[in-house]
Amino acid sequence: MNFGLPSAETLRKYRIWDAYFTPAFSHPGSDGSRNLINEIQRSMPAVRLGQFEKLCYFAHVGIGTTTDSRLEQLLQAKPELVLNPMKRWPNRLLGMIQLNLQNTASSLEALTQWLQEGPMLGAYFPGSGPGAANCLDPKVSQLVERVAELDGVIMQHTWLKTGGKRSPHESTPAELATLASRYPKQRFICAHAGGEWEQGIRAVRDSPNILIETSGFDATAGFIEMATRELGSKRIVFGSHLPSRSLGTELSKVISAQISEAEKKDILGGNYRKLLNVIQARK
Amino acid sequence: MPFHRRELIQGAITAGTASIVAASPSELPAAIPMPPKVVDTNVSLFQWPFRRLPLDNVDDLCATLQQLGITEAWAGSFESLLHRDIRACNERLAKACQIRAELIPVGAVNPTLPDWQHDLKLCLGRYAMPGVRLLPGYHGYTLNDEIFGQLLATATELGGFVQVAVAMEDTRTQSHSVQAPNVDPQPLKHWMQKIPQARVQILNCRPSTSDRQTFASIPRLTLDTSRVDGTDGVATLVNAVGADRLLYGSHAPFLIPEAACIRMLETGVSAADVQLIMQENAARFRDAKSPPAEHQPR
Repeated sequence: MNFGLPSAETLRKYRIWDAYFTPAFSHPGSDGSRNLINEIQRSMPAVRLGQFEKLCYFAHVGIGTTTDSRLEQLLQAKPELVLNPMKRWPNRLLGMIQLNLQNTASSLEALTQWLQEGPMLGAYFPGSGPGAANCLDPKVSQLVERVAELDGVIMQHTWLKTGGKRSPHESTPAELATLASRYPKQRFICAHAGGEWEQGIRAVRDSPNILIETSGFDATAGFIEMATRELGSKRIVFGSHLPSRSLGTELSKVISAQISEAEKKDILGGNYRKLLNVIQARK
Repeated sequence: MPFHRRELIQGAITAGTASIVAASPSELPAAIPMPPKVVDTNVSLFQWPFRRLPLDNVDDLCATLQQLGITEAWAGSFESLLHRDIRACNERLAKACQIRAELIPVGAVNPTLPDWQHDLKLCLGRYAMPGVRLLPGYHGYTLNDEIFGQLLATATELGGFVQVAVAMEDTRTQSHSVQAPNVDPQPLKHWMQKIPQARVQILNCRPSTSDRQTFASIPRLTLDTSRVDGTDGVATLVNAVGADRLLYGSHAPFLIPEAACIRMLETGVSAADVQLIMQENAARFRDAKSPPAEHQPR
């Protein structure tokens, strides 16, 4: 162990697939990809130190998920720009698209373009920004159904904040559990386990089609132990939130947890690979 | 479509096969040796009031710190967040640290309690603590309050340093019934000028850009690294305030101790700065005994 990090060999054996990689998460850059590329490069020392195999990021595809109208037009006119990061790191990057939950028509078109006909593996349902909507908003249902038809994965942003929601568009794990109960065959990922994970874990415990994702909050001790006890290791996927969070914060949650090595392997990559198997097989 | 989906799929999303791209040595963070002595300036003993933690047993915590190569840890007490009998908390803390050479007790003082000066004198006198830890968010005062200046001046006179925990946890995850606001460090600018011998360390700050500017503008103020997040967060803070003002801290066992440790390797600071942050700065901060203060607060 060096600086708290297992050996490179041990890390490689975990076969780490990062389900929540967030370079330039809010805006990829005015040319469609410059900031995104820069932030991926910024993350690479940590990615290599952690021996990550794959990273899944969330692409803006010109459907109004930013407040930059010129960028939105550019991405519509030149959709190939969306793929610049995947061309640059073809062996490393996986992608999902960010949906505009306020614009069902555009989002449905994007799902066809990017999940059915393109390389993307799922959809990100945002909790903030112009594309956000509460997951129980009626507009969301049609999008869930379409992602399900395409065998895609849904990453739903969730946070349960002391003092209540800062915006009505935010979603809690309990609300996601309600949504998931309507689509029992669809798999949902509860991003950040709700942030306040003690309640978040409980809220999704009886929803077998929900997995929780581990990033986006401090390295609070006991999280993975409770999640493994309540949900089982098969319902947890690792996320790094790099580069705005750190390898230290996010990887330590799993590698330092008092769980078995087999459970760590599930969380760090095995579960996510299984989750993506169906849509990858279609492609 | 203006792109070749099959090509991307072949390359990017081949399931079930390891596709590590071998990194050349230059692409990896520089190999940095762990300093021979490492000081963690921010741990706490006993039980967090709101849940059990995997390392809230002192022996377990010490074993993990030892595995990580931590040779000295400055320990406060979680009990002092909510207890009013602070003297008893500090006594238990001192006793627990007496039998473990690596633990240096840092007792708490709550200046909103009657006769807080007695607690301060006990900590810096009878218990031989090198400093005290303040929890303004939980004890109900701000750094603007005159009482804080009085405490800082008295601690400085007595030769002790002062740690100010600006947070203990993310305000978004606190108990609904016990909510402690983050502490505004801005007033420290006034006090550090008024009490030039004062030694103050901020704990548990997740610094924003404006926080970094504030810290840079306050002379001699030191910070711990426990919640400095972002893959290059520590390096960014080094650039803002200088490596000589950062002291390694983990906020264990509330936070996983490995988190802060891995960040030191990940962040891209030089080996010399790692040595400063993880070892030398803490020793210098601790051993710089304050001479009697010439400047008293109002």
